[in-house]
Amino acid sequence: MALTCSGSTEKSQEFPPPSSNVSVLPTILEVSYNWLDITSEFFQATKDLDLGELLHDDSFGLFEAMSAIEMMDPKMDAGMICNRGKKVMNFDQSVKAGTLKLNNLTMEELVGIFDSIFACLVTWLEGHSAAQTVLTCLYLHKPLSIVDRALRAFSIHTLKLLALINKIIQTACVYEEEDFQTALYGYGTCPEVTETRSAGMMREVEEELQRAVKSSRSKQGEPWDPKMQKQHEDAVALFSRIRFLRLLYAALTAIMRKDQTGIQEAERSLASCTELICIMQNTINRGLKPKAYKDEEGNKDYPTILGFEPLVNQRLLPPTFPRYTRLRTRKEAMAYLEEMVTRVKHCLKITHCTMFQTSLEFIEKFSESRPCVLSRSLAQILYYSLWGGQSMQDVLREGCEKFYLSSRPFTKGSRTFEKIIIIIILLQAKRYVDSFFMQCVSQFEILILTCGHNRARQRDKVALLLEEFALLQDEADKVDAFLHNVLLKSDQPRPHLAYLGTWILYHTLRLMIKYLLTGFTLELYAVHEYHYIYWYLYEFVYVWLVSALSRADAMLLEQEGYEVKGKSSRSSKSRNRNKKKHRPYGKEINYYTGLQHICGGYYKAMMGLRVGGKVKFPLPEFDNEEFRYDHRFMPFRVVMTPPPVHYEQFLLMTDLSNYPKPVTPAILYHDARNHFFKARSFFEAIPNPSTEVLHLIKIVKTNFVVMKLLEGGHKADDGSKPQFDFGLHQCFPIIRIS
Amino acid sequence: MRNSDFKDNLVNISEEADKSEKPPEPTTKPPLSPTKDSEGRRKLRNWLHGYMKVEMTDGRILVGTFVCTDRDNNIILASCTEHLQPDDDGREEEPRVLGLAMVPGRHVVSISIDESYQSMKHLCS
Repeated sequence: MALTCSGSTEKSQEFPPPSSNVSVLPTILEVSYNWLDITSEFFQATKDLDLGELLHDDSFGLFEAMSAIEMMDPKMDAGMICNRGKKVMNFDQSVKAGTLKLNNLTMEELVGIFDSIFACLVTWLEGHSAAQTVLTCLYLHKPLSIVDRALRAFSIHTLKLLALINKIIQTACVYEEEDFQTALYGYGTCPEVTETRSAGMMREVEEELQRAVKSSRSKQGEPWDPKMQKQHEDAVALFSRIRFLRLLYAALTAIMRKDQTGIQEAERSLASCTELICIMQNTINRGLKPKAYKDEEGNKDYPTILGFEPLVNQRLLPPTFPRYTRLRTRKEAMAYLEEMVTRVKHCLKITHCTMFQTSLEFIEKFSESRPCVLSRSLAQILYYSLWGGQSMQDVLREGCEKFYLSSRPFTKGSRTFEKIIIIIILLQAKRYVDSFFMQCVSQFEILILTCGHNRARQRDKVALLLEEFALLQDEADKVDAFLHNVLLKSDQPRPHLAYLGTWILYHTLRLMIKYLLTGFTLELYAVHEYHYIYWYLYEFVYVWLVSALSRADAMLLEQEGYEVKGKSSRSSKSRNRNKKKHRPYGKEINYYTGLQHICGGYYKAMMGLRVGGKVKFPLPEFDNEEFRYDHRFMPFRVVMTPPPVHYEQFLLMTDLSNYPKPVTPAILYHDARNHFFKARSFFEAIPNPSTEVLHLIKIVKTNFVVMKLLEGGHKADDGSKPQFDFGLHQCFPIIRIS
Repeated sequence: MRNSDFKDNLVNISEEADKSEKPPEPTTKPPLSPTKDSEGRRKLRNWLHGYMKVEMTDGRILVGTFVCTDRDNNIILASCTEHLQPDDDGREEEPRVLGLAMVPGRHVVSISIDESYQSMKHLCS
């Protein structure tokens, strides 16, 4: 396109550009047009062309031709006039035409408008353009011209809410184009009215409505006048909406203050919001309803009522934007708001997490529930506000210390890391450790940020993060080696174990697991790929993770040994008892060993199903297992520990001829059964199991039975394919043979 | 080793493709061959890169650089802007930028070409 234009601009530069009478693209130099009608001449000329022949020059090819948008195609051409049916009017035009009421709106109209605004708001939060959702409400274009006080306050406050949400999401920066559209297309946020004034206006309206609610109540002993009753119910409906908007806004502002009182205030406001939503849900029907879509002007994707014009911003959008955005219904919108309030309430709890590891796990768990972009952003903001005056460097140092001291309560306050490596006197060593944690800061910040993104993007970002962690690992090993030398030369010579290295390894392995498992949650793997994914998890990743945790465990015990030696025997009896009680990582080790065996079970089961002809393979000419394998484990190539396992190794290790006798599916099913059995015993050894662990136990139990059936030759010969039911767990299915 | 095998294959295929494509190439690239250069084609080629104004069946007017057409009068305009008919009060809305757009021949109402540019082109050549 650029090429085709350049010729014309060059030429026109040689002549002084005459004054223009039609405004054109700024990139084209201003030229006056001297239009010459060539319609019939053109039609005549094209008759010379052959069927399928394109007339163009060398700089324009079929590729360019294909990328042109097609005019008058209802899907591609957003600006088609004939489809509009009626004229699209903006605020002023509608007021002039008398179609937009600015005063004396009925309760029914108000409730309807408010609910439609909520529906638009929800659709916007789900990632659609504001121009096609919230800003289709004409009242939001010029709220100051509205006379009705309730409507004016609500409109202004909605604009404020849009700005606030925009700010929150942009601050947290965990959104992508598919999550959220920040553009507000120059529709201001009503800067003439301050936020305080806006909230004040809302409160005034609220009080007025509250009086109306009270005065229209049924009086004891008297029959309720039906007229009064309607008035009462309308007032309640309106009141709940005004109050909800005000409190939602107040809660979000309070959170953004990022202090303890703010959080408490937000909790209170959100609690009231939940109650108000119930009232709103019960009163949806009181609002003005859009015309049924069978009408000429109605649209089933975009039901409109007074004050809404779906196409009013159409010309602000890029050429190919969809003509309508399918809006959420009012009922769906209310349900969404209800869930959103619950989510926001939940993510306030992150402020109770005092340690790096717990907050990381909190955000990871939260992300698994696929939260909306607003609550994800709030979790991030709250997390960063957690630190208060503490720097990320210290948080990480503490996190690393806690990794070795997870369940011992007596470490409070003291800088335990120095205590572990008793080298505080050696300034150089301290500087070394400090600079190491400094290097960790940005990577761990990215780690937290990554967990805030949507699930699909997380996978990409984890792959990038693995590279960073590979570098950190290298650095950690160097620092560990240095400390080891220093300690051997110190007054009390003793070895320094790979503390930092193990800590980084632990996080690297968690990332690897996250990467592989998100493949299941995002449904990326085909059934015929399952065996090597589970194999890799079973044979390497989980084994490494368990060994890293066991090492941390062992280091702790060893450390205690040194401490005991150093401090002589101070109440050694109680210490011994403590030692037995706390195997600090016992729970984690059981959990991950259980997962290792469950993966082993799936791997063997998949092999059995493959050998037994129960897995559908791709056609040989489109199949290259090595290519797929390499692609699946590509990000692991940068990691030094654990070393990447190449496809050749995979083939070597999984070659069925390694077995002493010929392998039948039954033998593989038998192995799988044993793995599931072992997994079960590890899961059951976990005290106070979480719901996830309970689900896992249920899964392994069922799979155990299925394997037993398969081993006995159940459905061995018919062509039935296994079903993988991910209902209980997103990554570990129940295998069904039906 | 794998990679080189893969590459070998690629080279082979492309060589084959080159060989097979070379003979018909002159016939599929006719614009400059004199046998096909009719009066109509000359005219159209002359209009290429000129500013063109196309009115569509729904009343909108597209203005852009004429870059491509075919027998069915489908027209592709580059750097194209969409102008609406002025409304009843005579007010004209801002043109909307569309970029590369194709107007199907059946929706073309009228076509105009910018004369001043055409004459400029003649002066230059």
